[in-house]
Amino acid sequence: MTARDLLTRSNLLGAALVVVLLVLPSLATAYFVNFVMTQTFILGLAAATIVFLAKYGGMISLAQFLLFGVAGFMFGNAAQETGARGLNLGWHPWAAVVFALAVTTAAAFVLGALASRSTGLYFLMLTMVYAVIGYYVFAQIVEISGPGGLTSIQRPDLLGPPVRLYYAGLGLSVLAYVGFRAVGRTAFGLALQGVRDDPVRMASLGFNVPLHRALAFTLAGFAAGAGGLLNVWWNGQIDPASIAIGPTLILLIIAVIGGISSFEGAWLGAFVYVLIFTYLRDLPLIDRVGITEARFNTVIGVIVLVIMMLSPEGLTGIARRLRRRLRPPARTGPAPSTGPPLPVRTTEKELGVTRR
Amino acid sequence: MAHTGTAPSAPSGPPGPSGPAGPAPVVEVRAVTVAFGGLLALRDIDLAIARGERLAVLGPNGAGKTTLFNVIAGDVTPAAGSVVIKGVECVHRPSRYRPRLGVARTYQKARALAGLTVRENIYLALAGLRGRHRPLWRTAADRRMGEEAADVAHRVWLAGQLDAAAGELSHGQQRQLELGMAIATRPDVMLLDEPASGLSRGERERLVELLESFDEELTLLLVEHDMDVAFRIARRVVVMADGEQVTAGTPEQVRADPQVHRIYLGTEAPA
Amino acid sequence: MSRLSRPAALTLSTAASLALLAAGCSGDGGSSGLPADQESSSFSAEGDGVRLGILGQCEGPFGGFHEDVVAGTTLAFARYAGASPNSSTSALEGFSDAEVAGTPIELVGIGCGDDTADRILQEVRRLVEQQGANVIIGPLSGDEGIAVAEYAKGKPDLTVFAGISGSQEQTLQVQAPNYFRFYGDGAIWNAGLGDLLYREKGWRKVAVIADDYSFGHTSAAGFVADFCGVGGEVTHRVFPPLGTTDYSSYIAQLPDPDEVDGYFWAVGGTGTQAALEAFVNAKGDLTGDRHAGNFFFNPDLAQALGTDIAGAHIGGFATLPGDIQTPEIKEYLAAADETWETIPGSLSGNEPAPPSTSAAFGFFYGYYSAGVALVEGLKAVDGDISDPKAFQSAVAGLTLDLPHGDISLDENRSGIVDVGLSRLAVNDSDEVVQESVAIVPGVDQTFGGTFSPDTPSPGRDFPKCEKRDLPWEGKAIPVVDGVPQR
Repeated sequence: MTARDLLTRSNLLGAALVVVLLVLPSLATAYFVNFVMTQTFILGLAAATIVFLAKYGGMISLAQFLLFGVAGFMFGNAAQETGARGLNLGWHPWAAVVFALAVTTAAAFVLGALASRSTGLYFLMLTMVYAVIGYYVFAQIVEISGPGGLTSIQRPDLLGPPVRLYYAGLGLSVLAYVGFRAVGRTAFGLALQGVRDDPVRMASLGFNVPLHRALAFTLAGFAAGAGGLLNVWWNGQIDPASIAIGPTLILLIIAVIGGISSFEGAWLGAFVYVLIFTYLRDLPLIDRVGITEARFNTVIGVIVLVIMMLSPEGLTGIARRLRRRLRPPARTGPAPSTGPPLPVRTTEKELGVTRR
Repeated sequence: MAHTGTAPSAPSGPPGPSGPAGPAPVVEVRAVTVAFGGLLALRDIDLAIARGERLAVLGPNGAGKTTLFNVIAGDVTPAAGSVVIKGVECVHRPSRYRPRLGVARTYQKARALAGLTVRENIYLALAGLRGRHRPLWRTAADRRMGEEAADVAHRVWLAGQLDAAAGELSHGQQRQLELGMAIATRPDVMLLDEPASGLSRGERERLVELLESFDEELTLLLVEHDMDVAFRIARRVVVMADGEQVTAGTPEQVRADPQVHRIYLGTEAPA
Repeated sequence: MSRLSRPAALTLSTAASLALLAAGCSGDGGSSGLPADQESSSFSAEGDGVRLGILGQCEGPFGGFHEDVVAGTTLAFARYAGASPNSSTSALEGFSDAEVAGTPIELVGIGCGDDTADRILQEVRRLVEQQGANVIIGPLSGDEGIAVAEYAKGKPDLTVFAGISGSQEQTLQVQAPNYFRFYGDGAIWNAGLGDLLYREKGWRKVAVIADDYSFGHTSAAGFVADFCGVGGEVTHRVFPPLGTTDYSSYIAQLPDPDEVDGYFWAVGGTGTQAALEAFVNAKGDLTGDRHAGNFFFNPDLAQALGTDIAGAHIGGFATLPGDIQTPEIKEYLAAADETWETIPGSLSGNEPAPPSTSAAFGFFYGYYSAGVALVEGLKAVDGDISDPKAFQSAVAGLTLDLPHGDISLDENRSGIVDVGLSRLAVNDSDEVVQESVAIVPGVDQTFGGTFSPDTPSPGRDFPKCEKRDLPWEGKAIPVVDGVPQR
């Protein structure tokens, strides 16, 4: 069966990629591993939560980076023992991890419940308001954010060497990728996709639509919180500017670069973003054409624009199209076995606006 | 749980008072009034539907048929009046409580879940009824419900489209899927909102065939614009116009009613 | 069930090849063959020279100072390490031929911050871990300084000379042994101001209004510690958020002029003028000598507020007030003008201007001081930096003879500096100018114990108003007509 062959092949490729990533620390430079790739995993994980909500729930959330930050702040407050900043609760690091994830998840549930009756553009705007309010909460309540941020945050001893953080990022990314895709086939994920397609219909089938949306948001918040923990371990500090509207939009841009309806795209977008930010300036003569560090955001903006014009589904969309063009048309026919003469569509949602 | 040909059997009944089988109506609409803005969509409607009844509500566009239907289904909350289903007051219960009472509905515009396959659509109808809403992993129960969904798809002639996305189906196939999602839950009460609209002649024949195959115990409420289909299915017909009931009776009585002819102005009923 | 499998396959393969490609590209970067699980990069693999990274800001509120700060460091090498800039109209093109005691100084990169700690961390990691820098000069602003100092703590072989970042904690609390600051901090720059106002102007009660963020807090803390230290009383502390445009509600929280002897302002940027205008509207005319401010008070305020502002006292900065023109300062400014034809610095609106325009300002000067410190440090170890510890301890013991005064370091490697206090005055042509009044010598971070590693960061209610002995109390050197009366 063709479909099954393809599945296996993609699984094999995925496994091969994971193997490459597993041995990468002995192939590439420390900087590439500990900086570029670790940051890719962290941002990819956070962006994947945007994809999860957009793809399955039709909800484009700008609050994911806030939840990412909440986890970081909570860990910092709980784990720090001394210093002039934060609550300095001095808990055991793993207790602080549990605490941070619990607070983040609870916050995600509350925010998700409040936003659960809005969809589409309204949901986007509401979550943007969350991001802005969240920033001001941390900027104003200096007891939990500093003042001026939490610094010298140590990661648990288990993750002491930077390369372990890389592996933690790899592990969590694989887990999130496989997990999110698997959830799409469970009762919860199917119902979420039903809610995306037609909330009224889902209510008449007996589903509690607002609660379902809130729970999806909670799940995404939990994953974003895990990414946020990695981030503060990797970065060693977090301050209110870390979760301001700028970084929040960057995360959305990452999801858009990769393709907002594809989980692979989240990490691909993060990788491209980090690459641009890290290596673009090293290209020979790049500053001669006026592309200096100060203009990176412009460059990234242009790249996003070009990608969006070529394919609304980002790089993964472009890749898919290229592949279709390169393949002989014979392969695009329907699966022969149980087949009705209907094209068996691989279900891809366009930009996740709820259909009514 | 494989069930044979004719649909719902009683045991999957609702919680709560399942009134005496005889005279007590399954669905009772009392003095319902609905206003949209200043417009009165329904005015003081009373309607009682007995178990096993096949009732069609007829009327021209804007008569309030669909509004009445949505009140019963829980999508519209009336300004006044009450809706009692199997003895349970339902006016303020949102639509998601209806499946538990054994009520299923279809929509006038096919509202299948476009991004999901036929199997997944029917699966969700089953999962919705059985409260399997939020598990984050698949179990044997999911597999069984998937098999059940395939059976149901077979009954609505969609066996060949099991893994096709609902959004890719033809209009007629989407109506079949709507019906499939309704009968999958083996309801006691089925609300069909213009099931024949937009169907070809051949598809109508199949629809009527399917509806006639339903179990005698099943209560069927049909809103129809097309008198032809309505008269073939229904044993009792209610005619509405301008948010009020105009007349009611057997198909023959209604067909002969001069008021009905006046309402369907221009479409002189075939005598 | 097979959905997504084809795109997945393609994406994954694309990602894989991209990853490998990038890994290959970066392989020739700095520290190839290095196992990724080591904490620090190996500098010695790059030879014996100094591989220098400069951290500036090319975006954000201080983005305009990018030229200034790089030029500051470059000037130090031009004067003392034989360097010549690669361009006569911009410092960002880098420099060549810098060498001290046989040790070359190579500029490996210029980091581009945006005033956030996250960004500067990425930039410093890029410079150190990717470009192999073993010496960093910078960063520019307060929160960045804390982040970079923390980073330095984990990289003992790296040596950092702070640029002009003014937060107290980067040295007092972080205490990284390889992080050096040859200038003061936001609190130090207001030292002696309270003493002067108490003694000479008879101020006893003061209301303080400051931006509600770290620099505003720190700046106010320096004034409070000093004024209360000599016996004064701070009756009100008002903290408007940064970026406020309508200050009237905050001015309303201040006491009326008959309740206090004066007001201290640490409101920066466009807020300085807006807040003073709101004050005029609410409390009546401005009487200059009833006001004092940190270095955000400047003669430009007179354009909007008129000559009434004259008489106001101003705290210091990394440089002494502009009317002090010692031979050393003149020489320094002349050297800047010799090094480049023009520099498009921030003070000239990033238009080409004589380099001395930039060099006269503290941002340029802070980075210049850091460059001089690197040169002197290299001289002290005879150009041998193969042992970073030895190099660092040599740097810690330096006393730099700088144009605006000698600077040595305290035990936390933060500068013990002279602070130049000034006043706005009306000159003969009826213009408001800045006029030096005193130099407060030998100010250190602790304010006689007010601040220590165990005290909280300066905040809305820290430090408390308490009398204590300050080392510089009554030791201010008067300045008459720009000449210190030493």
